[in-house]
Amino acid sequence: MNPAQGPFSVLGVFDTPDALLEAIGKVKGRTGHRLEAYTPYPVHGLDRALGYRKSPIGGMVFVMGLVGALSALVLELWTSGWDYPLVTAGKPVVSWEAFVPILFEITVLFAALTAGLGMLLLLNRLPALRHPMLRSRSMALLTRDRFGLAVESAGEPLDPEALALLLEDAGAAAIEVVERPPAPGPASPKLLAAALGAILLACLAAAGTTYWGIKLFPRLIPMAHMLDQPRLDPQSGSSFFADGSGMRPPVAGTVSQGAPPRPLPNAEASEGLVNPLPGSAAVFRRGRAAYDTHCAVCHGLLGNGEGSLTDAYGARPTHLTAGAGRELSDGAIYHVIVSGKNAMPPYSSDLTEEERWAAVHYVRVLERALDALDTDFQGGAR
Amino acid sequence: MLAGALGLAGVAAAFFLCERERFWINWVLWFLFLLTTGLGSLFLVALEHVVGARWSVPLRRVPETIAGLVPPMGAAALVGLLSLGTLYPWTSAEGLRDPLVAAKAGWLNEPFFALRAAACVLLWTVSYVVLVGGSRRQDQTGDPRFNRRARRFAPLFMVILGLTVTVTAFDWISSLEPVWYSDIFGVYVFAGAFLAGLAATTLFTLHLRDAGRLDGVGPDHLHNLGGFLFAFTVFWAYIGFAQYLLMWYANIPEEVFWYGERLHGAWGGILLALALLHFLVPFLILIPRDAKSRPRLLFGVALLMLAMHWLDLYWMLFPSVAGGPLFGWPELSFALLFLSGGIWWVRRLMDRGEAMPVGDPFLREGLEFRL
Ligand code: HEC
Repeated sequence: MNPAQGPFSVLGVFDTPDALLEAIGKVKGRTGHRLEAYTPYPVHGLDRALGYRKSPIGGMVFVMGLVGALSALVLELWTSGWDYPLVTAGKPVVSWEAFVPILFEITVLFAALTAGLGMLLLLNRLPALRHPMLRSRSMALLTRDRFGLAVESAGEPLDPEALALLLEDAGAAAIEVVERPPAPGPASPKLLAAALGAILLACLAAAGTTYWGIKLFPRLIPMAHMLDQPRLDPQSGSSFFADGSGMRPPVAGTVSQGAPPRPLPNAEASEGLVNPLPGSAAVFRRGRAAYDTHCAVCHGLLGNGEGSLTDAYGARPTHLTAGAGRELSDGAIYHVIVSGKNAMPPYSSDLTEEERWAAVHYVRVLERALDALDTDFQGGAR
Repeated sequence: MLAGALGLAGVAAAFFLCERERFWINWVLWFLFLLTTGLGSLFLVALEHVVGARWSVPLRRVPETIAGLVPPMGAAALVGLLSLGTLYPWTSAEGLRDPLVAAKAGWLNEPFFALRAAACVLLWTVSYVVLVGGSRRQDQTGDPRFNRRARRFAPLFMVILGLTVTVTAFDWISSLEPVWYSDIFGVYVFAGAFLAGLAATTLFTLHLRDAGRLDGVGPDHLHNLGGFLFAFTVFWAYIGFAQYLLMWYANIPEEVFWYGERLHGAWGGILLALALLHFLVPFLILIPRDAKSRPRLLFGVALLMLAMHWLDLYWMLFPSVAGGPLFGWPELSFALLFLSGGIWWVRRLMDRGEAMPVGDPFLREGLEFRL
């Protein structure tokens, strides 16, 4: 890139769009330089008169629209169909009907952003803050009610006199020779420092306002529609029901699924119960999930009674894999899960029948893991 | 001529030989098809006046002429009032036994229905005379005051059209299933009507251009027509899908049964054809810029859109009376009669005067329009 020589362009100013279009016809082909028009509003027929080739923006928008449609589809299939399937209104989790609005919106979003940004930034290379035309005296007129036709140099030297004659012949009301702006010098270190300092200050100000703002007005929530909707929170009261409570107990006699009512008068009665589940890898996995979710906070991940809650809790949870804990029968562990014991609450409402027995299996696995046999390491779970 | 005579004979035969239901549903289908096409064209005319568009001035006589279908088809609608007892369940005591229908009896009763239909026809005819008659008179007088008058009347016409199209859609189409509700149904019918008006305008414009009667109408004008077609295929699909989506979500019996009848079996096949040929295919074809101004391509797309508008109406109307799609000699005769009649009528109107609004002061500006 060697610095270009001479003026940037010779500009003719015309009074009407028709005069401009006519002039383009006269000037085109009579100069080897590039032609460019400046108008205060889009003039019909201008790009054809200037002989512009077809803009690539249409193709870009089409492709990005397709990309948008595909992204939306993948997003929806993955989130609703695969990662977090949630049945709503009894519809299948993958319902194309429900996908269409989002598909449509995202397609439009991608296409519109591509059209806007692609046109402004990629094709027009805005912001062109150092564009020579910005220093032109005629610019104020050209953004108001005059129409400009410029013969521009793409680096090669221009012949201002000849071009001025040419434009005058074509009917220009005024001529201006637009100079190139002086080449930018290296940025001064002072300016750089000032800019960096200003950015830093702005960041600090923003962070500080946010921090103190949240401290001082903690209840100012920008969007609280979800929080403020008319609904009953757990444990909150309600004047709607006679007993004043918002939460409703299940109808008398209700039995939750997977938890058959079973009379369990005491630990002795449960003693002889036999674990109905096979000791398969799948069952161990379920048991582990149940144990880690519900028991580990107190009994610890290893069953040693050292859970994260233990200190705060006061009571000492039983060490399940040593001493007396080890001696408990399957039925006894099951009984504790269902009925609780002293400081340990019952877990019958949180665990299904299967999960309870799977958890029992898992407690046994933890015990066994403390002194595993060589055979345990051959071929995985038994 | 021959086709028209054949059609007339066939329709007359259908009147005596067919079940009454089949005869009348065909009647309703065909007058609605031509009527909505005419109303869509009239809307296009009004649109030009409202927004003060100049590019379309040279073309305006085309939709104005197609709008000439409105008065005769209004008369056909009035004849169609004879079908009420045969087609519409709410006219019988048995139909009224359904409490949901009985609750609508204040709206759905024969005298009020006839009154509404007549009022619609009257309003359309008056609008037609003001907008199109005035424009034809301007050919002779060159009186620029017409533009101002049309510009003032056109917004009013749009309100009139919005109300009357909704009434027409509710009365003539959806009350065939009087239990059914759909608020957006009028908009859906309007979308189809406007698209049909555009398609007919495009077809007729291309035809007249080939015949050398629209000198000065160039690819740029066609491009705008193509753009309109392109945009409104999307609008039609958008409205149609919006109606379906809400009903699908809510899944209320008195709404979904309508789709239940029209989604399964052969009717479902027709709906699929509509989705593809009324929307997706023309949409994709018209995306490239050049496609919108290529005459042959536009002709094909416009023809397809008109055919699809017919199929759309067929799909809305016929399932209410027929178990599966019917297309036999009665349907064919109706098609021959109404199509040849409609084309003959529009051509006759066109041949009687200028093909462009030569008295319009903006004609020159319109001819000079470039993209
Ligand atoms: C909130 C803390 C807590 C949780 C959670 C908890 N436990 Fe306990 N658990 C205890 C305490 C405390 C004891 C000792 C009770 C006692 O002996 O007084 C105990 C005792 C036991 C015992 C020994 C009973 C006996 O007869 O000595 C077993 C077995 C047991 N828990 C199993 C479980 C299982 C399985 C779970 C998960 C479903 C679980 N616990 C969840 C606190 C908890």
